[in-house]
Amino acid sequence: MLCLLVFAFAGSAGAGRLSAAPSTLRLRDLDNALVDPFQALPSTKATVFVFASVSCPISNRYAPEVRRLHDAFSSNGVTFWLVYPNPAESAADIRAHLKAFGYPVRALRDPAHDLAKITKVSVTPEAAVYDARRSLVYHGRIDDRYVSVGVERPAPTRRDLQDVLTSVLAGTPVSSATQPAVGCFIADFVQ
Amino acid sequence: MRFTGFTRFSRFAATVGATAMALTTAGASLSSDVRRQPDDPPTFSSDIAPILFSRCSVCHHDGGAAPFSVLTYASVRQHTTLIAELTLKRVMPPWKAEPGYGEFVGLEPLTRDQIDLIQRWVSAGSPEGDPRALPDAPQWNADWQLGTPDLIVTLPQPYTVPAEGGDRFRIFVFPLRVDGTKYVRGIEFHPGNRGVVHHATIRVDNTPTSRLLDEDDPAPGYEGLLAHSAGYPDGHFLGWTPGQVPPLLPKGLAWHLTRGADLVVQLHLVPTGKAEPVQPSVGLYFSNDPPERTPAMIRLSRQNLDIPAGERAYHVTDSYVLPVDVDVQAVQPHAHYRGREIKGVATLPDGTTKWLIYIKDWDFRWQHVYRLVKPMPLPRGTKVEMQYTYDNSSGNPRNTQPLQRVLWGQRSSDEMGDLWIQVLTANERDLAALNNDFRPKMLAEDIVGTELLIRAEPARVALHDDVALLYLAMNQPERAVDHFDASAKLKPESAVTHFNLATALTVAASTGRDVQMSGGRLDQAIGEYQKALQIRPDYASAHNNLGSVLLQRGNPSQAIVHLMEAVRIDPRSAEARYNLGRAYRAQGNRAAAIDSFRETVRLMPNNAPALNDLASLLATAPEDALRNGLEAKRLAQLAVRLSGGQDPAALDTLAAACAEAGEFDAAVEYAQLALQHAPPGRAATLIAERLDLYKQRKAYRSP
Repeated sequence: MLCLLVFAFAGSAGAGRLSAAPSTLRLRDLDNALVDPFQALPSTKATVFVFASVSCPISNRYAPEVRRLHDAFSSNGVTFWLVYPNPAESAADIRAHLKAFGYPVRALRDPAHDLAKITKVSVTPEAAVYDARRSLVYHGRIDDRYVSVGVERPAPTRRDLQDVLTSVLAGTPVSSATQPAVGCFIADFVQ
Repeated sequence: MRFTGFTRFSRFAATVGATAMALTTAGASLSSDVRRQPDDPPTFSSDIAPILFSRCSVCHHDGGAAPFSVLTYASVRQHTTLIAELTLKRVMPPWKAEPGYGEFVGLEPLTRDQIDLIQRWVSAGSPEGDPRALPDAPQWNADWQLGTPDLIVTLPQPYTVPAEGGDRFRIFVFPLRVDGTKYVRGIEFHPGNRGVVHHATIRVDNTPTSRLLDEDDPAPGYEGLLAHSAGYPDGHFLGWTPGQVPPLLPKGLAWHLTRGADLVVQLHLVPTGKAEPVQPSVGLYFSNDPPERTPAMIRLSRQNLDIPAGERAYHVTDSYVLPVDVDVQAVQPHAHYRGREIKGVATLPDGTTKWLIYIKDWDFRWQHVYRLVKPMPLPRGTKVEMQYTYDNSSGNPRNTQPLQRVLWGQRSSDEMGDLWIQVLTANERDLAALNNDFRPKMLAEDIVGTELLIRAEPARVALHDDVALLYLAMNQPERAVDHFDASAKLKPESAVTHFNLATALTVAASTGRDVQMSGGRLDQAIGEYQKALQIRPDYASAHNNLGSVLLQRGNPSQAIVHLMEAVRIDPRSAEARYNLGRAYRAQGNRAAAIDSFRETVRLMPNNAPALNDLASLLATAPEDALRNGLEAKRLAQLAVRLSGGQDPAALDTLAAACAEAGEFDAAVEYAQLALQHAPPGRAATLIAERLDLYKQRKAYRSP
């Protein structure tokens, strides 16, 4: 059951109304504050969740790509969240990780994998994209650099996440079918 | 074993650092108070930890080469799905040799039962079980596994691997600066930053070639090709892959490390997502004992690879028939991303075949040296063969670039096909016979590959230099001159290019049949050496070589100017001292010549030509004060021994020294021996004249 709540967005100088979230889910941020991951401004055209973990090498190797996508799309109405699903990783671990890899992205913790289930994400690194109508339009790999664990291309030949975001911003249908991601399994992140 | 005296040398130590540790193996430490029913699912503590501890923890421990530790349940629990998937697909542990096709040290794959056990455990929800049943975890530390090294070299400045991009291959040159010859029993490589170094290829370069390539690149190391002069020393594999610490060599099997040699380390670097400094170290372990046996390295290879885009099965073979009996010690296959199937086969003269290596699903990322648990004897006449198959289609999961034609080359986007086979021979004579027989085959193949690269990149100086050196080794100095000439024209501002061209011209002059043309070559060489010295006035080798050429052209006084400069810049150069001695002698300054030859012998006590020249002056100088018959005799005896006992010039000198010492019977005897070995001609006539003097109990005086 969806609970339709309307929030006032603190930092938006009262600029707008936040639209309906598709879930009642609240996750903790690094300051332990509860956050609705789907909260968004009316100007938000897409919300991206990138699932990451501190000690997963494939996840880490995507940091520069995530940074690049953030820089390219965040000023065009795309909201980025990094989501850490491993309960063993503390807020301090995650803060250090954000710093080490230069992520300019806000982070949420998803220790019970609630958001992972809603977004149908199963590994780190993997992305989920919601459009302005709060529909899940894509979940899967960021690009096709990794063929499987241990098999990778020198450079990606398809940039799935970038293509999806371009489509969403252009208002054209998302052509990219969900592509399985390669990395560390979120289901194994249990305490 | 057919070879007498061979057993001592027939085995390389069958231990690696990783497996030398006392590890608790499956089930051995199950505590008696733990009761389990046979139908109970497997547990981490009782069933899985013993496998992971013994087979995976060598890399998978905190601070180890691999991403996570398998030493605690908490850590393993976070990767169970991956562990189940990768062990089932035999991606991990990454030992690629097919089970049942040879036994290799430290590289046994998981058994079917072990893989099944892991599957059942993960299906059952990866239960921990009773922690009391857990075997003792192996202790891993960051120390040197082979003990404290005798010499540790560390990259002077760290190299920074950028945050992103594809895998990088970068070559670093570590100057070793050893004083004299050392015997090396082993080396241990420490990556310095384990997260980014995937593996290391290690070679030794006795020439400055690699160092100069490194100096050309302002950052630490250089990107490009390993020079042909960077080789495996004395037929020994060097290198590092995670989990493989090459064992110390047994007594009598060390390799020579000479003054001026550099260690050349090519690192396969994998970006991690953030900029990573990497500063590797290498520890060297020396032996007091010189080697008694030297292995030989046979390299089967094809460098004319030209694989069409989309080709599914491109077959390549190369073979070699052994001219002597050998024992195979180890093999190392090499191919890049298109390599799919690797076969190494030996066909004995009686038609039976033996597998040297079989890899069904080649993976470029795992460049192991496969050391045989038991050496494989192969008789003379055995054909060793490589049969490689490449898949350049999209059906090859590792062929991750867009489809394109692929040619031979060292870059990972090119393709290669080598099978290195390390063997021991029965004795030194067989070793020499094998090396002499094999060397032209290897050089010819290297020329094929390098000429191919030059066609693609005609302006690359390093390629011209490389192929020129190969032509010199193949006794084709004229071709070497052509390529060094190309280098000097491409890079006229480099002193080295002129030096190389001059040196090849000198070699060409010495092998040319036409005297006038040879003289022309030498004059050209003088011009090129002078150009090199204009650019770099303190170029000791250029002064030395120029002095030597001037001496050949009959200009000892000019030669002495340059040779003295060479000696001043590099006082330890025996070669420059020796040339200086020759130049003084040519000038008639015998006292100075004796001093220079003495200094040469002090720097290099086993230099036969210097010993002979010194002995000759001490025996025959017209000046009474310069002669010393007894010393001359001692030096000449050593020269005779070092030159194999049959060298007419050394025997002739020994005869003269004996005569000077008043031992005329011995002088007659040695002079007769010298005559026996001297080819007919002027030298023989002179020996015969001296023999007559000794018979009259007279010593010989040089004019």
